[in-house]
Amino acid sequence: MKRIFENIRIAFKSLALNKLRSFLTMLGIIIGVGSVVAVMSIGASAEASITENIQSMGTNVLTITPGREQVSIGGREASVESPGSIQVRVGEDSEQRRGLMSGFGEEEDEEIVAGELYLKDVKALKEETSVLDEVVPLLSSMSGFSYMSWSGNVSVTATTEDYLNFAGYELEKGNFFTVDDVSNSSNVVVLGYGVLTDYFGKNDPIGETVKIDGKNFKVMGILKSVGYTFGMSPDNSIYIPITTAQNKLYGIDTVNQIMVKVKSEDAMDAATAEAKAILRSQHHILPGESSDFEISSSAQLLEMAGTITDIMVILLSSIAAISLLVGGIGIMNIMFVSVTERTREIGIRKAIGAKNRDILVQFLTESIVLSLSGGIIGIGLASLITGVLSTFTSLSSLITASPVIMALSFSTIIGLVFGIFPAMRAARLNPIDSLRHE
Amino acid sequence: MNQKIIDIKNVTKVYKIGNIKVNALNGINLEINRGEFLSIMGPSGSGKSTLMNILGCLDTPTSGSYLLEDVNVAGLNDNQLAEIRNKKVGFVFQTFNLLSRTNITGNVELPLIYSKGKRSKSRKDLISKVIDSVGLAEWVRHRPNELSGGQRQRVAIARALVNDPAIILADEPTGNLDSRTGEEIMAIFQNFNRQGKTILFVTHEIDLAKHAGRIIYLKDGIITGEEIIKDPINAQKRLEDMPKLEDKINSMEANALL
Repeated sequence: MKRIFENIRIAFKSLALNKLRSFLTMLGIIIGVGSVVAVMSIGASAEASITENIQSMGTNVLTITPGREQVSIGGREASVESPGSIQVRVGEDSEQRRGLMSGFGEEEDEEIVAGELYLKDVKALKEETSVLDEVVPLLSSMSGFSYMSWSGNVSVTATTEDYLNFAGYELEKGNFFTVDDVSNSSNVVVLGYGVLTDYFGKNDPIGETVKIDGKNFKVMGILKSVGYTFGMSPDNSIYIPITTAQNKLYGIDTVNQIMVKVKSEDAMDAATAEAKAILRSQHHILPGESSDFEISSSAQLLEMAGTITDIMVILLSSIAAISLLVGGIGIMNIMFVSVTERTREIGIRKAIGAKNRDILVQFLTESIVLSLSGGIIGIGLASLITGVLSTFTSLSSLITASPVIMALSFSTIIGLVFGIFPAMRAARLNPIDSLRHE
Repeated sequence: MNQKIIDIKNVTKVYKIGNIKVNALNGINLEINRGEFLSIMGPSGSGKSTLMNILGCLDTPTSGSYLLEDVNVAGLNDNQLAEIRNKKVGFVFQTFNLLSRTNITGNVELPLIYSKGKRSKSRKDLISKVIDSVGLAEWVRHRPNELSGGQRQRVAIARALVNDPAIILADEPTGNLDSRTGEEIMAIFQNFNRQGKTILFVTHEIDLAKHAGRIIYLKDGIITGEEIIKDPINAQKRLEDMPKLEDKINSMEANALL
């Protein structure tokens, strides 16, 4: 035990003699470990925040989107439900959904212009259901927004009066639009909290007139701030009646998405089947034909989100791993230089009674100390990076234990693996020749 | 305990350089008794260094036997040789061979690091005692490059002594020193010899060789002669007779003033 401390002391001493060189050698490990830990921590906290957001929406939510349900394995089209299947989307999809799906890379080549979803589907779902609780249509897009001289683009969510309750938002001020506003296609708008601060400053916006895609709308309410969902903030959205959006803004009669809350989590399967049956009959789809819509549950969304972040973490980690490898080669290089430089010292130590093993352990300790110090500094760097990121984004700055343990053991292993050859060369030196070495 | 510390019989050493064989030692027979102060003399190329390397267990003979305290060293492997070097041999080199980046204590401690057992408390006491015995107590925190040549060689002697070896091997220990400092080093050796240490040193100066009780003459890899010195030069006495450098400078200053 004392030997080990002795060796560590010697290692630190000899590294301290070449401070700049030691630091530059460590840099590869610092950057490698720093990026591995940062990437893994960011990945973990991103996943945690996505999970949290999906769960806050409720685990009893079904999302129905238009497009032919299909799995393409060997060109075959499966018409039955398969939880992992990817649907083709037609028309403008919700921003949230698009954000999730775009990373998935399994979209079909052939665009099938198939079904659309309509308000009458929403109505059918509401009327014919036994287990579906709340049904809300959504039509989302980015639109030009202006108030007085300020203008910009905001995310417009067109929906029904039920949405406030469905999403669990609360009003900061004013009112949400009513069933009358929806049936009358009123030009009214409810603002997210971020839009308020961006465009109105300290002015009271209630009753003010704003322009959406050039059309006048009256502000009737402000939502309380809710933070981020899927990396996007609903705070930066504005909410208008869906009929107004269809008739006055876009001139269409379809919706992007229908969201359904199921009465209980246990009834998810039954609800999926029921919603499917209702919509199939609504769309006159014959038995044996595949549906022209896709129903996915929040559990599926969770799974998808997990897969995406996993892929990202694996990709970025492998890049970081390469930089660790390069760092390791740097250590090996400098250790070989060090062995040559200190041949005489090795000769003296051997003449005085150091065994081959003693010299091996001395140089191995030095390379491990070098690499492990780099690892520790790298973890410091990573916490700095995530700390900075967390102040500018909604990601938490939490550095989890597992990447830290992994990084420390990795840098130890790198020190060991890349230090062993130089250390072996040092250990094998002949004492007589080494003593003569200048 | 056997009086013979070293018993060498018919030792040869052949170096192969490419296809050429170089006979460095051609059958050496040598016995060294406990408590002896011995010098080996010979011109360069006579095989002195090779003999020292073999005696010091840095190298093994091509043939012949070497008993060091009744252990046949000739058949040992690298690790066993390292242990013998650590426990039974103390080296003093012409070029000192100290670790330049380590302070005096660290240098003297070095052999102890590679030997098992010693408790750190007794280790510290031992180190300071040995450093004291070569008169460097005030210098323990200094590094070798802050010391004079003579002081450095004393550190090397302290390092050689710290593990209480059977024999101290000194290879031209005064070769890099001026004559007065060299004499000081010889005085230290003689002092330790009087305390019972066995010391062997190599030199090519007959004047220095005569400090020892016995001189071995080596030429072309064989021992050509042996001389017992009945009345070795006493280095301490000589130092007292030698004018000190500062005295000389002082007297020259006095002359200049006149």
